[in-house]
Amino acid sequence: MATGADVRDILELTGGDNDGPISKKDLINSDKKKTKKATETLTFKRPEGMHREVYALLYSDKKDAPPLLPSDTTQGYRTVKAKLGCKKVRPWKWMPFTNPARRDGAIFHHWRRTAEEGKDYPFARFNKTVQVPVYSEQEYQMHLHDDGWTKAETDHLFDLCKRFDLRFIVVHDRYDHQQYRKRSVEDLKERYYSICGKLTKVRAASGTEPKIYIFDAGHERRRKEQLEKLFNRTPEQVAEEEYLIQELRKIETRKKEREKKAQDLQKLIKAADTTTELRRAEKRVSKKKLPQKRETEKPAVPETAGIKFPDFKSAGVTPRSHRMKLPSSVGQKKIKAIEQILIEQGVDLNPMPTEEIVQMFNELRSDLVLLYELKQAHSNCEYEQQMLRHRYEALLKAGSGGGCGTAGAGLAATPQGGELNVEAKEQIIDVVGAPLTPNSRKRRESASSSSSVKKVKKP
Amino acid sequence: MCQVYVLCVGVNDEVGALVFDIGSYSVRAGYAGEDCPKADFPTVIGVTLDREDGSTPMETDGDKGKQGGTTYYIDTNQLRVPRENMEVMSPLKNGMKLMFEHYNIPAFFLCKSAVLSAFANGRSTGLVLDSGATHTTAIPVHDGYVLQQGIVKSPLAGDFMSMQCRELFQELNVEIIPPYMIASKDGVREGAQASWKKKEKLPQVTRSWHNYMCNCVIQDFQASVLQVSDSPYDEQVAAQMPTVHYELPNGYNCDFGAERLKIPEGLFDPSNAKGLSGNTMLGVGHVVTTSVGMCDIDIRPGLYGSVVVTGGNTLIQGFTDRLNRELSQKTPPSMRLKLIANNTTVERRFSAWIGGSILASLGTFQQMWISKQEYEEGGKQCVDRKCP
Repeated sequence: MATGADVRDILELTGGDNDGPISKKDLINSDKKKTKKATETLTFKRPEGMHREVYALLYSDKKDAPPLLPSDTTQGYRTVKAKLGCKKVRPWKWMPFTNPARRDGAIFHHWRRTAEEGKDYPFARFNKTVQVPVYSEQEYQMHLHDDGWTKAETDHLFDLCKRFDLRFIVVHDRYDHQQYRKRSVEDLKERYYSICGKLTKVRAASGTEPKIYIFDAGHERRRKEQLEKLFNRTPEQVAEEEYLIQELRKIETRKKEREKKAQDLQKLIKAADTTTELRRAEKRVSKKKLPQKRETEKPAVPETAGIKFPDFKSAGVTPRSHRMKLPSSVGQKKIKAIEQILIEQGVDLNPMPTEEIVQMFNELRSDLVLLYELKQAHSNCEYEQQMLRHRYEALLKAGSGGGCGTAGAGLAATPQGGELNVEAKEQIIDVVGAPLTPNSRKRRESASSSSSVKKVKKP
Repeated sequence: MCQVYVLCVGVNDEVGALVFDIGSYSVRAGYAGEDCPKADFPTVIGVTLDREDGSTPMETDGDKGKQGGTTYYIDTNQLRVPRENMEVMSPLKNGMKLMFEHYNIPAFFLCKSAVLSAFANGRSTGLVLDSGATHTTAIPVHDGYVLQQGIVKSPLAGDFMSMQCRELFQELNVEIIPPYMIASKDGVREGAQASWKKKEKLPQVTRSWHNYMCNCVIQDFQASVLQVSDSPYDEQVAAQMPTVHYELPNGYNCDFGAERLKIPEGLFDPSNAKGLSGNTMLGVGHVVTTSVGMCDIDIRPGLYGSVVVTGGNTLIQGFTDRLNRELSQKTPPSMRLKLIANNTTVERRFSAWIGGSILASLGTFQQMWISKQEYEEGGKQCVDRKCP
């Protein structure tokens, strides 16, 4: 297909900028003449290539005109199209070339543009090689001598390293095993890096501290051994490991639960203690009616004990009885318990909400809840103690002499979380699920407990 | 394991390089830079001689046609014409190397086909499983170099399959008649004896050529009918598989069911295959794992992460699925396994050639050619040094 430029060329007309080689700008850039027109007219027309929605964001119908200095939108939003055929054809020539990366200066031929004749072969710069140090005879004799390695072997090693660009796996593969001993990859690396290190030290100018790469062959060997073992695991071993990890997790969760419960108990007790102390202090103060030496250090009542009545900060008017309302966080059982005790004691379930009454009633209920919780905790502990006692007695009867003494010690001892003792003589707790030894199996059979979670109170 | 030869012919042609891939079953040749070889013909040469002893040693054969009336026939069309006294043989590999010396080429390069197969699939590291006509080989390639100590070869490949198919036909009492002998045939019922008429005036063909033609028939059967089952062969499962109908050139036709699965099972599980001496052969899955097992442990994940499957024998239906299954069973569960298998026939059979084409057209490859001058100076050692 003949384009305008071709026709002009054939008819040998001059016109347009024919001189000079075609450049990328001519092919892809927009025409320079058209930009002048764009700057003159303040058009609301959206530039070609810009999406309608994008344009709508910038200039909607009702808004002002576009900014006074319009940018050249032809540059950015246009999908560029190459304008082919606008210049004369650039000839190609079959020319010989030498590749500077080659050592023998062989001459090959290929097609290239005549404009690029004489320039270097562009791919030669990709010929990167790794710098492998070269040592002389004296250097070898003086510094690099080693008992395990002959000079010939060392030379062979360095030759391979140079050929394969320090790919030690390949070097190890191509190493001459018939002539030299069988070496592992770590041996080769060790020898190479030690020589490099020594050479840098020797050749470094005096006074400078050269940086040497230290290769830890022992570590590498151990690491590879480990990897081998990991790789060669049988599925049974993998399953066993999974199982052990699960057991460990179970033990840890149980330990956490125990600790949490112990903490809760502690809080409860502390709360009970502090409230009683508070009351006593107040009573003393009010009885004596002395200038109060207010011990302002009221121990902070833990909030888990009793009920915290929220301070009403509502806008508008509220009746005082709102303050008497139980907060929604109190459970059904506790409400029932409160009601029961109030009824027993003959107290009105909903007294007249005067200021004093409201306050005292709230306090009363809070104390009732505290009492209820304490009672529960107490009964729990009693129950646990009973169970452990039964178990202890059962073990005493069934277990052998060896198990007993330590079993007794175990009761008092703090359990050590995380230890899965397969022998499990010290830990009566947490033997659930572990591979059973004859002793622990008997224990399990004799133990009547249904729950596997045992709690031990910290002394 | 075949080697791919890359020639640079720069004299009269516009193209820079030619790529030859000579296998034991077929030869692939073409221009570098193209995506498939221009010529793909069997690696057999038909030789007719005036003498009576059939074989001609190829080493001394530099110039074709000079040895007293010997004519060579290559390529499928020429080969399949029955001629008198035409023996069939395979050119020796060393012979090809020497032939180059007579062609006055400016430069050449040899590269292992495993490396090129890996390149053709976009990888420089991986395990190349090449299952061709004569051998099934697992070759670990690391960073563009073959790890020679990890190469594992097994003779269970295409030819083994053909042999098993032959035995199957013998058991069924079916004679293999190549097409050149058939003048006409009648349609017969399934499983019935074939009814066909022999051609008159057939030339006296040699035994080797007749065998070759029979092999062609069997290879066609092998390619169309055989299938690898997903799991180790089981009688009941195989009995339920759909049958495939196949008709031999002489008219004998039959439905093949369980045999379709039983024969290729020998590739993966050689313990039950007939005609094998003892249990020393490795199945394809074992070949792969043994090969990887011989390599350094650091590169094993890299090898398992790109297992390249090439070779004509792998085109049997179900081969790659079964291989995938076997490998995932044999590797530790944490190992990421990836099988790379092109689905088109062209790419799998020609992947070594395609790799050579890619390599020869790279700009950075131009420094690796072995020029005539270098070869004259260095001899064969420089070939060993420069070619990976």
